[in-house]
Amino acid sequence: MSGRVSVLGWRLVILVTILAAWEFLTGVKAVSRTPGLYWIDPFFISRPSAIAARFAFLASDQVRLSIWQMALSTVQSTLWGFLAGVGSGFVVGLVLGRNDRLARIFEPYIIAFNSLPRIALVPLITMVFGFGILAKVVLAWTIVFFIVFFNTFQGARSVDAELIHSARFLGAGERQIVRSVIIPSALGWTFAALTPSISFALIGVVVGEFLGGESGGGLGYLIIQSLGTLNAADMMVALLSLGAIGIVMALGIKQLERRLLRWRPEYRERA
Amino acid sequence: MAVDDVSFDVFDGEFVALVGPSGCGKSTILNMIGGLVTPSAGTVEIDGVRVTGVAPPDVGYVFQKDTVFPWRTVARNIAVGLEYRGVTRDEQARRVREAIALAGLEGFEDAFPATLSGGMRQRVALMRTLVVDPAMLLMDEPFGALDTHTKINLHAELLALWNARRQTVVFVTHDLSEAITLADRVVVMTRRPGRIKMVHDVKLPRPRDVIRLRETDDYAREYRRVWHVLGEEFAERGA
Repeated sequence: MSGRVSVLGWRLVILVTILAAWEFLTGVKAVSRTPGLYWIDPFFISRPSAIAARFAFLASDQVRLSIWQMALSTVQSTLWGFLAGVGSGFVVGLVLGRNDRLARIFEPYIIAFNSLPRIALVPLITMVFGFGILAKVVLAWTIVFFIVFFNTFQGARSVDAELIHSARFLGAGERQIVRSVIIPSALGWTFAALTPSISFALIGVVVGEFLGGESGGGLGYLIIQSLGTLNAADMMVALLSLGAIGIVMALGIKQLERRLLRWRPEYRERA
Repeated sequence: MAVDDVSFDVFDGEFVALVGPSGCGKSTILNMIGGLVTPSAGTVEIDGVRVTGVAPPDVGYVFQKDTVFPWRTVARNIAVGLEYRGVTRDEQARRVREAIALAGLEGFEDAFPATLSGGMRQRVALMRTLVVDPAMLLMDEPFGALDTHTKINLHAELLALWNARRQTVVFVTHDLSEAITLADRVVVMTRRPGRIKMVHDVKLPRPRDVIRLRETDDYAREYRRVWHVLGEEFAERGA
């Protein structure tokens, strides 16, 4: 227990140090004849006090599109893209992983599509799905799908043949083997893909929001808008919010993993 | 070629052990009986029915490798064969309780395999196979990875269970004392490509006390007789 406390303590110390240094260094004027020059110019990276003030303003009802609405839009699109990607990636990974012929047929298409930089698809996706939330979801989905697909595919292929044989000797039919051996076996691999997936879903959504304009809302929109007005404080508000969202989502996945994979030795004590 | 010109019968309710040096194809023979390997020539028949696919009906298989499902608890592992067969929940619970008591696994019902010792995991694997009550049991060095102490305990348990049910057993091992302790007949194989070198009837009365048995002269005599033949196969050829 004391180990946990000290870890938390250290995290806090680092956070406070960074914030204090940031606040202090962006307040030191450079010795120069030109007035208003800083050692580290808050124009570019803002400072914690200014960011907090902007956050309070953006969180108030004085703005048309509050930070809460933007964050909600980003979170929603991310989750939908993530769920769609995980669901479809898992199913397709399982099917192709257990069917050599299908896997061979689809291989070049999968590799080709996956090698395509997803950013390059943004304009096309926007053309097809418009500027709303759907385009962002689709973009996140195209990224997450492949991450989950490749992992599940590997997982489904590497199921221990003797586990399958032993199920067969215990009387399992094909469907029962899929349900009781292949899926639980592959799930471990799928889970390994979830944490990167949620990050990539977030990337997809934010990139979508860069182009999406106000109707799609979201934190990516705030970033682009801040670039237009050269407002570093607003940009920092958006970035820090994205960081917070990322942490919460990653922790959620860890929890889920801990529950579903509680049979693994690494989760044993917590089972 | 792993085995060549191998032919033998196993009778109903008989316990047969296959012994031989590693790589002699004894596991291959077992896998042919279980339908995991298709013989390039010849046939395997069980009750007059030719084996054509994996897992012929009413045959259980205990692998050397740990094949207990790591994501299921002990109780749910033992229940899995009953689940496959659509046995009702109540009946499953009853038979699993019985099996757990027989294997001395009380208190570990809800434990995951990762928390168990190798011996306990192999007990689970054995009970999981026995709980569906197969008429024939194929065992591929099931205790090969265990220490002597655990192994002997499991011999006693296996014999007790077998005495009650008298399944037909084909047991592969490279440990001659294990073979003589357990089996009615010992089939000795030559080195690769494996052929049958000798079939020996173990003339030791049942029920056997697996610990006392090894002190007896009868056991020593049986052991010597088979070892005399098997030892030639272990020795380096030409040495």
